[in-house]
Amino acid sequence: MANDEVTAPGLDEQLQALVGQPIGAGGPSIGPDPVNQPMIRHWAAAFEDANPIYTDPVAGAASRFGEIVAPPLMLQTWTMATPKITGIRERGGSPVEGGGAEVLRLLDGAGFVGTLATNSEFEILRYLRLGERVSATTVVDAISREKRTRLGPGRFLTWVTTYVDDAGAVVGVQTFRILKFKPEVPA
Amino acid sequence: MRSLDWSEIRVGDEVTPLVIDVNATVIAAGAIATRDFMPVHHDREYANVQGAPDIFMNILSDTAYCSRFLTDWAGPDARVARIAIRLGVPVFPGHTLTYTGSVSAVWRTEDEGFVDIEFTAVDDLGEHVSGTATLGLPLDGPT
Repeated sequence: MANDEVTAPGLDEQLQALVGQPIGAGGPSIGPDPVNQPMIRHWAAAFEDANPIYTDPVAGAASRFGEIVAPPLMLQTWTMATPKITGIRERGGSPVEGGGAEVLRLLDGAGFVGTLATNSEFEILRYLRLGERVSATTVVDAISREKRTRLGPGRFLTWVTTYVDDAGAVVGVQTFRILKFKPEVPA
Repeated sequence: MRSLDWSEIRVGDEVTPLVIDVNATVIAAGAIATRDFMPVHHDREYANVQGAPDIFMNILSDTAYCSRFLTDWAGPDARVARIAIRLGVPVFPGHTLTYTGSVSAVWRTEDEGFVDIEFTAVDDLGEHVSGTATLGLPLDGPT
């Protein structure tokens, strides 16, 4: 879906300078709440996931995990920012004001306002227990040159997030790729 | 809910398919439960402005359904050790999303048994997700 390449002079250099850098200036994202039963129950209900180790203390105790554990794929959810709902449309869907990633500001400013997630990979080193607090550090891994895609001209952005527990030990690593694109709405 | 016995799993074994009847509530519930407030996952008018005909499922919901698909089959003693997905066509309200997969490798370390799985999820437009995963299971059978 990405055939002919189109270069935007100047922007490439600005973007490449961000590769290897943390995506935000504010340090690690700390989960606003520790791993907790209400958010787990909400998640399990939304996906109708009946795995009893997420919500049933008896089943958790009887399992290899020995207690209730969080769904492993909730890892990213724990550190998602608390959103400011007012103005979310005007901010192009960004859940928070200001403080956004420089790489996204650059791309949005260059007209790549559309966002589509394309790849997600998780290595889960261990499951989280109730009460644990997770924090995440995200580094820009790669930014592609401008390409034609079926949604419009776009750039693929890859970042790697390392999740750590209270003791600073790594509990999981996520590689995430999005397409930032200039929306082309059919006339 | 019984867990599979790792020693009885063979390459080629099919993962029990998972079928999701997707509607707007399914998509919005998944987005909010994963704390993803991007309007494209709950606001159709906004999605239209972005060039999409309707709201569409977010990727955190995709990985959530993948883990449910895997552990519904392998049981509560299965540990998701790795999951990697690539997104194809989007999922819109009205679609039927069907996950299927099979075991591609069975291996072990000194203290845990592992199963590699290749899977896809197909909706009304085609292949929505393709992925690979690794599950860990106790060597001494289900608890």
